[in-house]
Amino acid sequence: MNETQLALLLFIVVFLPIFYISGRRVQEGNFPDLRPIPAFDALRGVMARAIETGRRVHVGLGIGGISGYMTADSLAGLSVLEYLANQSAATGVPPLVTMADPTLLIAAQDVMRRPYRDDWGEAANAMRHARWIAPEPAAYAAGVLGMLGSEAVDANVLIGAFGDEYLLLGEAANRKKISSVGGASDPNVLPFVFASADYALMGEDMYAAGAYLAQKPWHIGSLLAQDLMRWVIVATIIVLVVIKSLI
Amino acid sequence: MVNRILSTVVAMAVGLLVLADFFVNSNLVDTLGLYLIRTASVVAAFALVFGMINVLTVHLGKIYSRDKGWGYSMVLLGALFFTLGIGILTGGPASPQVQGLFETVLFPLEATLFSLLAFFTVTAAYRAFRVKSFETGLFVAAGIIVLLGQVPVAAMLWDQLPVIKDWMLDVPALAGARGILLGVALGTLATGLRVLLGIDRPYVD
Repeated sequence: MNETQLALLLFIVVFLPIFYISGRRVQEGNFPDLRPIPAFDALRGVMARAIETGRRVHVGLGIGGISGYMTADSLAGLSVLEYLANQSAATGVPPLVTMADPTLLIAAQDVMRRPYRDDWGEAANAMRHARWIAPEPAAYAAGVLGMLGSEAVDANVLIGAFGDEYLLLGEAANRKKISSVGGASDPNVLPFVFASADYALMGEDMYAAGAYLAQKPWHIGSLLAQDLMRWVIVATIIVLVVIKSLI
Repeated sequence: MVNRILSTVVAMAVGLLVLADFFVNSNLVDTLGLYLIRTASVVAAFALVFGMINVLTVHLGKIYSRDKGWGYSMVLLGALFFTLGIGILTGGPASPQVQGLFETVLFPLEATLFSLLAFFTVTAAYRAFRVKSFETGLFVAAGIIVLLGQVPVAAMLWDQLPVIKDWMLDVPALAGARGILLGVALGTLATGLRVLLGIDRPYVD
């Protein structure tokens, strides 16, 4: 076993019990106070506002798929979509969903179908609003730009795996005065998110959608575990720096 | 119910096996892991067919109902069938004709679109540089120092400016990026474990 494998194994071995204990505590009703994240507050209101204005909500899931190194980002986008799709089931106006990877199309269609479990007609209608644009980032951006220009869109939610094309989409929404919520994990893309989105989910905030929007106990538990692990890592770094400096 | 349990068991077993493949050096586990990863590639290829059906459905619907921009939909479908036809007739995506199509049409169009990024960056920076809070104040200060530090004339104004710029990029910016990456790694690990342990089941109702 090499150093990377050993480090990852150690990481998982330490993380698993913390994750389990935190999740159990939340399941028993010990809900912690979560720090406010304005982007999630904004997401709670986008569907209602879209209904009032008679416009649509665009959810861009980015260029990642569900079978690669960007899977976690895509799943974060799907968590947000799940929340918006559940809300839209009550209002009857499904969000307009776009993505660049066809594997994510199937997952997104499934998420949009779920609120209408017993109504095949409505489920098929909701699935129709998930659109695969193109596999190339530039072509995806061009397709979404065209769509933002032709459809009546009230809010632009871009959460998932994005590259430089994020700025093209974010700025296009800004020029049309469309309110926007953005989220990405790539540090090179975060300045674009910060500069162009009204509400930004920076880095790991994006993965907290299940905890903040759906209040899922195991998601809240995993947030607690992540915080604890962060302190463990910070303490380890400090101790190692001190040891290295003394030797 | 059976479907739900079966899906969860299969997903957990496959996930754990591929994870084990990362840690264990065994021929059997390696072969199984590789087989499963290749199977995922085949599934992804099928997804591309679903994607194409989705494109056809959306754009044929637009053409049929004469929606706004239906002419563009016709161009898109024409380009799709033309490329598909060239690919089938000339022996696949590696043929010189298909490669030529990509090199003379797609790549220049992509380059053109991404060249717009420079202008978009300026408008985004203009908006971001409006000082509304302490954070945006720091953002603006850092932006100005780094921008000035890149310009040769700045060194003539004050020779320490490029040094400060380098320090800002190498110390606070790099530390911030590493902090973000650490958080992302923890978030990714938590997401992966939730799927692996069957807590999150995006594949079942």
